[in-house]
Amino acid sequence: MALLETLLILLVASALAGLAGSFLGIGGGIFLIPFMTLVLEVDLRTSIAVSLVGVIATSSGAASVYVRDHLTNLRLGMFLEIATTTGAIAGALVAVLVDPRFLYVTFAAVVLFAAVYMLRTPETARDRAYRAGTESPVAHRLALGSLYFDHEDEGVYRYRVDRPLAGFAVSAVAGGFAGLLGLGGGFVKVPAMNLLMRVPMKPAIATSNFMVGVTAAASGLIYYSRGWLDPTLAAVVIIGAFTGSNLGTKLMMRAKAERIRFAFAVLLAALGLLMALRAFGVEVLA
Amino acid sequence: MIGPRDVVVGMVRRLQALRRAAVAEVEDINRLIYHVLRGGVVLALAFVVLAFLLHASGEGPLPRSSVPPRDLFGSLLPPSPAGLMNLGVLILLLTPVGRVALSLVAYAEERDLRYVAITAIVLANLTLALALGLA
Repeated sequence: MALLETLLILLVASALAGLAGSFLGIGGGIFLIPFMTLVLEVDLRTSIAVSLVGVIATSSGAASVYVRDHLTNLRLGMFLEIATTTGAIAGALVAVLVDPRFLYVTFAAVVLFAAVYMLRTPETARDRAYRAGTESPVAHRLALGSLYFDHEDEGVYRYRVDRPLAGFAVSAVAGGFAGLLGLGGGFVKVPAMNLLMRVPMKPAIATSNFMVGVTAAASGLIYYSRGWLDPTLAAVVIIGAFTGSNLGTKLMMRAKAERIRFAFAVLLAALGLLMALRAFGVEVLA
Repeated sequence: MIGPRDVVVGMVRRLQALRRAAVAEVEDINRLIYHVLRGGVVLALAFVVLAFLLHASGEGPLPRSSVPPRDLFGSLLPPSPAGLMNLGVLILLLTPVGRVALSLVAYAEERDLRYVAITAIVLANLTLALALGLA
């Protein structure tokens, strides 16, 4: 394929990945890596490296807007980043010791469960609002609860963070798995925050978007300093992903939380099926 | 159509906005992080667009592999598409790290010791990951 043709297709693809990534709170690597290897016939290592750049461009572009509009829970993000970065390092170190099939089965089960759970539990204005009862001591001491403005119904919601330690543990596992696959792991962080810690969907997405950039930066810098990163492909992805993320953030802030959750559940279900197939030896994507 | 002039003007405006954010006394941490993240991406964007424009005007080939940071300075004098593109990508990769580092300073200024500790652990993890990866 001619270089110019590859660059133009990649520009459009990364814009779409940036749009979806900023709308769903993920980096977009799960879209970009298979697309680059299968359609553009770029080798896997280069695809992962370039996709990491796309994840950071999407994350930084989207997170800046979400942070400015106080949608991101900075404290929760920083707290969970301990888990994701530690998990990523541990994952990279034990990668050789773990049977990948076991990982895929576990992961498929978790992701499919999250998809069903997300579809079955609605998020109404009442669910978003602060609940009575005592807050978990850890959440209280770290002041994890926060408030945000929801464009959907022009309401300000104060929410608290439930089960911080369980969420921390899940984030660590997500970081480990993400480290193994060269992804940001946003598709685990969003359900962990929304379903387990009961953070409303929009702050969960904004906070996840804020976090994935840090995980991706650590791996991305390693790829860069080893000379494995193709700057020309990366440059096109920066332009595309940033443009897409600018549109995605606008859509997300105005969208109904229910619609976003439905889109997210569909993504999780598709991902779970792919992982399950891979566990049984069927390679569908990359 | 974006010309080199617009890129330079855009960069200058971004830098001025960043300076105003740093100077203003009543800036909260959200505003600061917004400027770091936004500024990082826009700066990276400006360099890679400039690199494509230089390449289009026949100033040199497009790079296909990254230049390690220690060799980057040499490839920037004189400015070449390869050097500028590498610089842009590297700035983007460093943006999230810069965000964590600046949060540390901001929490320290707020004397929020718990979050100073939490941010320091994240920063140490990032450094460890880099050290392990580079070894």
